[in-house]
Amino acid sequence: MRRLPTQPGERIDRESSIAFTFDGAPVSAYEGDTIASALLASGRHVLSRSFKYHRPRGELCGCGQCANSLMQVDGAPGVRACATPVLAGMRVEHQNAWPSLDLDLMSAAGKLASPFMPVGFYYKTFIRPRRLWPVYEKALRHAAGLGRLPKRQQERRWRTEYRRRHCDVLVIGGGIAGLCAALRAAQLGADVVLCDEDLEPGGVQLAEGGGERVRELAAQAQAAGVEILSRGCALGYFDGLVPVWQGDVLHQVRARQHVAATGAIEQPLIFPENDLPGIMLAGGARRLAALYALTPGSAAVLACVGDAGLEAALALHAAGVRIEAVADLRPDAHELPVGARVVEAGIALLSGASVVHAVGRRGVKRVTLARIGRDGAAVPGSEQELECDLLAVSGGFVPASSLLLQAGARASYDETAGRFLAQELPPGVHAAGSVAGYEDRDAAELSGALAGAKAAHALGIGGESLRRELAEQGARLQALPLARTSSPPACASGRRGGKAFVDLDEDVTVKDVEHAALEGFDSIELSKRYTTATMGPSQGRFSQLPAVRALAAKTGSQLGEIGLTTARPPWSTVPLGALAGRPLEPARRSAIHARHRELGATVRWAGEWRRAYDYGEPEGEALAVQESAGLIDVSTLGKLIVRGPDAGELLDRLYPNTMSTLKPGRIRYGVLLSDAGRITDDGTVCRLDEESFYVTTTSSGASAVEQWFSWWLADWKLDAHLSDVTQGVCAVNLAGPRARQILARTTDLDCGADAFPYLAARQAEIAGIPCLLLRIGFVGEVGYEIHCCAAHGEQLWDELMQAGAELGVRPFGLEPQRILRLQKQHILVGQDTDSESTPYGAGLEWIVKLDKPQQFIGRWALEHAAERAPEQRLVGFTVPSGQLPSEGAVVLDGAAPAGQVSSARRSPKLRSTIGMAWVPASQAYEQARITISDGGLMIEAVVTTKPFYDPEGAVLRA
Amino acid sequence: MSLDFLSVGGRAAAKSPLAAATAAAGASFEIRGGWELATHFAEAPVEAQACRERVAWADVSHMRKLELQGTAEQLSAARPHDGVWLALTPERALLLDGDEIPVAAGLHVLDVTSQLGALRIGGPLARELFARFCALDLRPHVTPPGVLRPGSVARTPGYVLCEAPDRYLMLFGAAYGAYLWEVVSDAGTHLGGRAVGVDALAPTETCSGA
Repeated sequence: MRRLPTQPGERIDRESSIAFTFDGAPVSAYEGDTIASALLASGRHVLSRSFKYHRPRGELCGCGQCANSLMQVDGAPGVRACATPVLAGMRVEHQNAWPSLDLDLMSAAGKLASPFMPVGFYYKTFIRPRRLWPVYEKALRHAAGLGRLPKRQQERRWRTEYRRRHCDVLVIGGGIAGLCAALRAAQLGADVVLCDEDLEPGGVQLAEGGGERVRELAAQAQAAGVEILSRGCALGYFDGLVPVWQGDVLHQVRARQHVAATGAIEQPLIFPENDLPGIMLAGGARRLAALYALTPGSAAVLACVGDAGLEAALALHAAGVRIEAVADLRPDAHELPVGARVVEAGIALLSGASVVHAVGRRGVKRVTLARIGRDGAAVPGSEQELECDLLAVSGGFVPASSLLLQAGARASYDETAGRFLAQELPPGVHAAGSVAGYEDRDAAELSGALAGAKAAHALGIGGESLRRELAEQGARLQALPLARTSSPPACASGRRGGKAFVDLDEDVTVKDVEHAALEGFDSIELSKRYTTATMGPSQGRFSQLPAVRALAAKTGSQLGEIGLTTARPPWSTVPLGALAGRPLEPARRSAIHARHRELGATVRWAGEWRRAYDYGEPEGEALAVQESAGLIDVSTLGKLIVRGPDAGELLDRLYPNTMSTLKPGRIRYGVLLSDAGRITDDGTVCRLDEESFYVTTTSSGASAVEQWFSWWLADWKLDAHLSDVTQGVCAVNLAGPRARQILARTTDLDCGADAFPYLAARQAEIAGIPCLLLRIGFVGEVGYEIHCCAAHGEQLWDELMQAGAELGVRPFGLEPQRILRLQKQHILVGQDTDSESTPYGAGLEWIVKLDKPQQFIGRWALEHAAERAPEQRLVGFTVPSGQLPSEGAVVLDGAAPAGQVSSARRSPKLRSTIGMAWVPASQAYEQARITISDGGLMIEAVVTTKPFYDPEGAVLRA
Repeated sequence: MSLDFLSVGGRAAAKSPLAAATAAAGASFEIRGGWELATHFAEAPVEAQACRERVAWADVSHMRKLELQGTAEQLSAARPHDGVWLALTPERALLLDGDEIPVAAGLHVLDVTSQLGALRIGGPLARELFARFCALDLRPHVTPPGVLRPGSVARTPGYVLCEAPDRYLMLFGAAYGAYLWEVVSDAGTHLGGRAVGVDALAPTETCSGA
């Protein structure tokens, strides 16, 4: 294509040249060019290869709505070249073609194999043998991909992020109607956001003679405070939330009122070889000429069904393009005013005719026009062949109503307008311009202003005068005629040979739709799923109506009977990275986290927390705890303060044992139960004073327990208060035979066994830090859980490590802790228990006090459960062979599954494999032999019902 | 026994939950009032320019925060004249930066200074920065100075208080400190902003809260 002389309103700056590369070769462009316009100007007219058959494809819409110009830009795949401005140094590459765009060997496969690849062939062909599906899938994806995404995040050079925006009115679409809506709403005082897919607002007017007017409106709107999001595609409507993808930002726009001014989409015509490069929409050809000063062709033919095509012919003719002929399907086209202007301009106008065939290889060379009979077919003998390198088609317009339909509007076929219209708009949603049926510029302006005013009025802006104005404008608009569309000619699949595509994105032909119908996929929803028509990147913009027409023709139905497929987001393509946002994951870290890193900890996720899993030697760390001392960060435990006169009563009702009888400074273990008597969490309760308790929970259960307590507190209306201090309190557990000695070095507190016995709590300063010390022993050794303000957590850790350095203290992580607790058969709720576990089955019968006076959560269920022995029990086991069963491995009763392993580890202290498992009650006795099936491996194990280590608790209580 | 272990009071200075993150970002620290504070990340004029022209954020987790629970009457009676009073529910309030500890019969006061991290975010792009990680509506007519918005900040529970036009205080769970710093720095830097010391965004007037 060559450049035209300067066009009024063109976007390019001819004074400023920039360079970029396409497939490694340098290309020159003007500032303001899109990638596609620059490539077209450089002489390239094949921009991509099709999805399935790898056919050459060229420019179609010129505005970023079709999939014909998808390219890889600076590593990012799927970029629409016709809507992306060129930047200096840009690296543009073709995609989905090998070895090059012009010589794509896969196109040969498409030509030779296409008879064997009818619609749905891969559903049928690759279903067997199932084990080969991964191979098939890889090959299919390789053959039909849409660009390559860099595999690693660090290789992606683009950034995506969210931006939330609240506003009063969101106007979707920046054509003349959208601009008028935004301007009016803003003038009335509303906070307005307008999003538009193009590089600048203005819509079709930019290329169709109204550029000055829409640019003036845009300037007024901005001056009135409208935030304009250009190149911003509204992706969907989610109960009022509209995501708008703009460059590298996904705006999440929450508006109180929405105005859809999404316009109408020009439709292609369906005829054999309708996908050749050089065949484009008439509107697209006008855009190229008006905005980028490009001649879309040196010899053009136009085929249309309405005035838009004739206007395009006149515009292209005025721009200097030679028009060979115009075929208008309307028999009276030459009698219409615009038809008369075409004739006056010396252009051959064929009324009642259309294009029926195109010929070419890498571009259109010749087309056949013919008169179309009442049956929609070419009249024999009327064919006329014309040489051309541009065929501009205009098959009428379809309202871009997807977002309205997603918002809850109903699509129905309007016989008068000849199109599907969105009706019964939901409250707070307004339509303006072409999408509402007002294509004429004046009507679009009026409908836009009215919609903007209505949206503002719905916000409570304006009074009676605005209401009167709305009524008056509404009446004026009602009096205007809605746009009408003539149906394009039907296309029989076999006519004149060649593929007639209804969906260029997915390479779906008329024949495919017909075959699908013959196979029984005769509703549009089924046909869509079987053929994949409308499922490509353009989201059915150019294929929905052709597919509906093809199906209607095949089944003998009316368009209204066929209907449209369900409108679903996204309306425009969006990178998955845009939906993901920034790659930052909410993580809780303890106050000592940095220290763990310095000590070489392996950090892993534990619920929401990042925890030290080990420090490189889990078994060595576990041994150190048992032979000298270890220090572990347990800040992740849930921690609640329960205070008030009824605090004890509250806890008595929540736990199956009694907490109100605890003396200040004493600790009791407790489990929390559901109404059904199932274990939901566990932890300790420490009484601080008469009205204050300090409750710990599991790390993962902290939030749920806090909510559980709050819920019951509100329900029971007890005089107690609850505070979650989990994140404000740092806790470490100093454990081991030398723990007492180490602790004594840091505090004046008498740490002797008598002065500070097991299950006692004390307050003391450690290195000057006010601390709460709990003498408990989850890991089975003498242990002190030390709690302090998180702001001193790191200091507390350092002091204890320093004090214990010469006594052999080692930091230990989560994994060694799990080994140690398993030796004691201390359960991990959620690991050793599940949603069916009761205290009776879990060996915690002793904790249930059915004789206590208070009702407590789960009591009723436990009373019933107590009447019969549990079917399964949680027991310990050892494996004489030393094999380590997987957690979750099946415990067998004969050959039948009868339980499962909940925990298993190798104990360095005991030098054996130990574990816990749910087994049938009949096998839950000392020395019982059980068989564990683990992935085909049979493991013999021996049951033990007592802790593996220190079964009497002498060490723990020492 | 008491709840003293919830409060700072060690011989060494208390550390913010964001201390490791601010140190990694190049902060200079000073000990003030028993806390180690990030006082500078760059020269004062550079920080002032960010506050004035773009957006800046400062770690103010050391700010004293008290949680008060009681009946509406008890809370009302206990409301002091100093500090920022934030009513969370009719029976629960937060008192920020108060000099005194309110006392009233039946009123439960808890020091939650370490429980909540705090970032002060200010500058003409402050709302834009929040928009990158938070869906709260902070438009001036919706969230004017003195108004507190509880909600989700960067997908974690938190509060945002508008202290003054274009200046906000964000409170969040202390354990999320490093994460929140990363989120704010990531988005803020992209907007041309920067981290600043505690003094660069010091309040110029008192916000009485709501």
